[in-house]
Amino acid sequence: MPDWKEEITRRLQSLKLAPAREAEIVEELTQHLEDRYQDLVVGGSTEDEARRVALGELREENLLARGLRRVEEEAALEPVLPGGGGRSNLIGSIAQDIRYGLRMLRKNPGFTTVAVLTLALGIGANTAIFSYVNAWMIKPLPYPQADRLMVFLSHDKKKGWTGEGIVSTASFLDFQKQNASFDQTALWAGWNFNLTGDGLPALVEGGRVSWNYFETLGAKPILGRTFAPDEDRPGVGHVAILGWGLWQSRFAGDPKIIGRTITIGGEAYTVVGVMPGTFQFPLMGIANLWTPLALTDKQRADRGSSGLRAFGRLKAGVTPDQAGADSAAIFGRLEREFPLTNTNLTLLVGPMGDEIAREEGAPAVMICFWIVALILLIACANVANLMLAHATSRAKEFAVRGALGATCGRLVRQLLSESLVLFFFGGVAGALFGLLGMRWIEFEIPGHIRGYLVNYGHVDLDFTTLGFTLGITLLCGIVFGLAPAYEHSRHDVNPTLKEASGQASGSKRSAWLRRIFVSAEIAMAVVVLISTTLLVKSFVISVRSSPGYNSTHVMVAQLSLPKTKYAEDWRWRSFGDDVLARIHALPQVVSAGAASSVPFGGFGRWTEVEAAEKPAPRPGEKLGAQFTAVSNDYFSAMQIRLFKGRIFNSADAPGNSPSAIINETLARDLWPNEDPIGQEIRFGEQHTVCTIVGVVDDIKMYYLRERPEPQMYVPLAQFPSATLGFVARTAGSSPTVATAIRDAIWAVDRDQPISSVEPLETLIAIVNAGYSVLTKLLVFFGALATFLGVIGIYGVMSDLVSRRTHEIGIRTALGASPSQVLGMVVGQGLELALIGVVVGVLCALGATRLLAAGLYDVGPNDPLTFIAVPIAFAMVSLAACFVPARRAMRVDPVVALRYE
Amino acid sequence: MEAKASSPEWKKVSAELLILSLVEARPRHGYEISRLIEQRSGGTVRFYVASLYPLLYRLEKRGWVEGRWVERAGQRRRRYYRLTPGGRKVLAAQRRGWQAFVAAVNRIVEVEHA
Repeated sequence: MPDWKEEITRRLQSLKLAPAREAEIVEELTQHLEDRYQDLVVGGSTEDEARRVALGELREENLLARGLRRVEEEAALEPVLPGGGGRSNLIGSIAQDIRYGLRMLRKNPGFTTVAVLTLALGIGANTAIFSYVNAWMIKPLPYPQADRLMVFLSHDKKKGWTGEGIVSTASFLDFQKQNASFDQTALWAGWNFNLTGDGLPALVEGGRVSWNYFETLGAKPILGRTFAPDEDRPGVGHVAILGWGLWQSRFAGDPKIIGRTITIGGEAYTVVGVMPGTFQFPLMGIANLWTPLALTDKQRADRGSSGLRAFGRLKAGVTPDQAGADSAAIFGRLEREFPLTNTNLTLLVGPMGDEIAREEGAPAVMICFWIVALILLIACANVANLMLAHATSRAKEFAVRGALGATCGRLVRQLLSESLVLFFFGGVAGALFGLLGMRWIEFEIPGHIRGYLVNYGHVDLDFTTLGFTLGITLLCGIVFGLAPAYEHSRHDVNPTLKEASGQASGSKRSAWLRRIFVSAEIAMAVVVLISTTLLVKSFVISVRSSPGYNSTHVMVAQLSLPKTKYAEDWRWRSFGDDVLARIHALPQVVSAGAASSVPFGGFGRWTEVEAAEKPAPRPGEKLGAQFTAVSNDYFSAMQIRLFKGRIFNSADAPGNSPSAIINETLARDLWPNEDPIGQEIRFGEQHTVCTIVGVVDDIKMYYLRERPEPQMYVPLAQFPSATLGFVARTAGSSPTVATAIRDAIWAVDRDQPISSVEPLETLIAIVNAGYSVLTKLLVFFGALATFLGVIGIYGVMSDLVSRRTHEIGIRTALGASPSQVLGMVVGQGLELALIGVVVGVLCALGATRLLAAGLYDVGPNDPLTFIAVPIAFAMVSLAACFVPARRAMRVDPVVALRYE
Repeated sequence: MEAKASSPEWKKVSAELLILSLVEARPRHGYEISRLIEQRSGGTVRFYVASLYPLLYRLEKRGWVEGRWVERAGQRRRRYYRLTPGGRKVLAAQRRGWQAFVAAVNRIVEVEHA
């Protein structure tokens, strides 16, 4: 008897099966060969012949192994119909779908890479922007029960403006006494303190606050205590609280800091507490030192405008609306009681979180949020198109499975699972991209600002952000996976199986869907591009617009003279003159000047002004103007244009009749049809009267985007100031001038703290930094949207040409010229693009209205943008069609007709 | 990936159809199945060991057939395969698909001759 076992075993060796399994197979096959052998012998064959024929059943040496390998390693496919065996449980079959999906993705690396990258870009952008939405708008403020904290904002009912202040100190104190809505209210003002002793003289940023400031917020010190009520009185309040940063840097973290005496503004203060490094109050900015507000009786009774700000903690059970109504009632009464000062003025109540978010740029973040949402939709449309094309090429596979009994639902589930696997990888890559994006934005935010943004401008891939990323990935995966899933689960077997050519042309519906997706994504890309172009244009215009002076090569030094050392105003004048003379003498300096506040210096004064010879304005109608005292050479140093009259000179000396210079806007407001030169202007609490000697250009003091405001200037000689900003213009950039200016100041007073010596351009850049980051982001988003849109068109056109190669071949064979073929392809592509562009422009007309508030000197329907962007897009789309079109032109009819 | 009549896809489907239909009536072992196919096709279709058993095992893994060792008196044990309820449904679907395909091909072939 021939040894079948040995033959079979040898052929199974390479499979390395489990011994029991191998034994089973060997036994079964042995039996088969034995039966065959016996049948042949019985049928008349010789033993040798029978043996040879039986062995022939095993065919080539490795055929059996190959066949068995596929079976043994094949993942158990589910029974095509439910109810088969015991294997069709939901989780099991979903796991199979996922495995199958992974295999499909592995088999098509090109498709997978493009799809995952596209999704990663879209999801990543959303993750990065959402992390800021989360940090600035969703996360609660870092105080206990932060939703009970409200800020107060002064509001002029007639003129409609809302400011950060409290109407007036006296009014607010009345409100404090009369209101029934707040447990605690606290006042505060940002302040810069001159610190001397314990190191170099330094100007430290901080605030003067009412005694219950920390208590109302719910912030606790890490050392010592916060202020006591009786310390918040003039003369008594020489106590101070340090920030952790200052405690470490200036006092070396002295453990015995509590009770230690420090010198602030030349006076002795006792340290009573230290705040932790995690304490932040974003509205105050960077703060490392606090002293009590200690209002004098005069200040308390002041019904004029106040530089103080306030917040409060609501009583339990009181809603913000109720508090607002309470405030409106109280200020209504004050209006009637004090018509001269309180007419039309009221105090609004709003959540502190909203105010912080607004100041930190929440509107800009929200604009970015909607833009990246659109970009994600564009990316998903691209991927959906890719999946539709990919699924179409698998039409036969689905047709056969359908013929084998796979239900529509089953195939939908499988295609959806494949889609979700793809989106999952896109989501993971997107989270990584998003992290990169977050770090980039963080890096771009200047350190100066970063310190006082909520959460220190630091964003994390925390649970909320990850949850958001997962959520949008899942949502998009399901929504955009349904299209190909639904499309290809319903194939009719016969037409697909009957296809003679290898190109399944796909159902008409699939082609339609792809066209709709492409047009839709182009429309969205156009909306994004128009929006970002308008915003970027705004930024460029604001940066390029003249601020009213020449800001290049101007060094600015700011300081504040302590009242203890410089009690009389003639000392301020003397100091200022001395320093200015020394600065003039510096070889690098071409011209120099001084002012009580310089542009973008962060300081400024306001005063109420009126034309002296005209009837007094009605209460509530008074005009306010920026008020600056300047040296005679200030205007020439800053290169501010003089329109009429003269600038200050030696005639404007102390004791002489006071002069003033006003800007064009103030001239127009007070003397609309007259020459202001020689007129008299009255200002301030003392109702000082000055004679107008000159009219200068409007200048920008705080923001590049500010509207022209009334501004008035008086001579420093006649109105000396304790806060001074020195401006020095150099011929070119001069690395040594900053040190030279510091030395000039310290030559006059060794102990005078200087707050900063920086180029004016830097000061402007710091203020503008937020817009700068935003603009860079917008440029990126605009480019991304365009790129994705163009890829979409290219993909569809490329696919279209492949699909219709057969048809193109026929046309060419029938006499169509290459340029006609080109025209046909390009025409189709352009049609899709144009539909998208037109729809996009119409949508943009509406969408850009929402941007109007954020635009500067650009209308929301700026014609140039609305014409240039669509044309540019159409041209780029044309180029994208061109490559596949050229491919179509070169189709050899003979090859095409044979194309399978 | 196409499935023309001559391509491996349809060959695979038709092979499955053959086996499933042969075990529909009663359980059979591998040799019996291969003999029946050869006989009923008049020698046109033949399944060798190297292709038959991988196919049987695949059908078994899918749950369309169930294999069991059976020992009869006086004989070595053999592995018998029977159709499962799931396999029954698949067989019905495959039969329909095959008949539709054949009808379609016939329609084309007839037209040519006309």
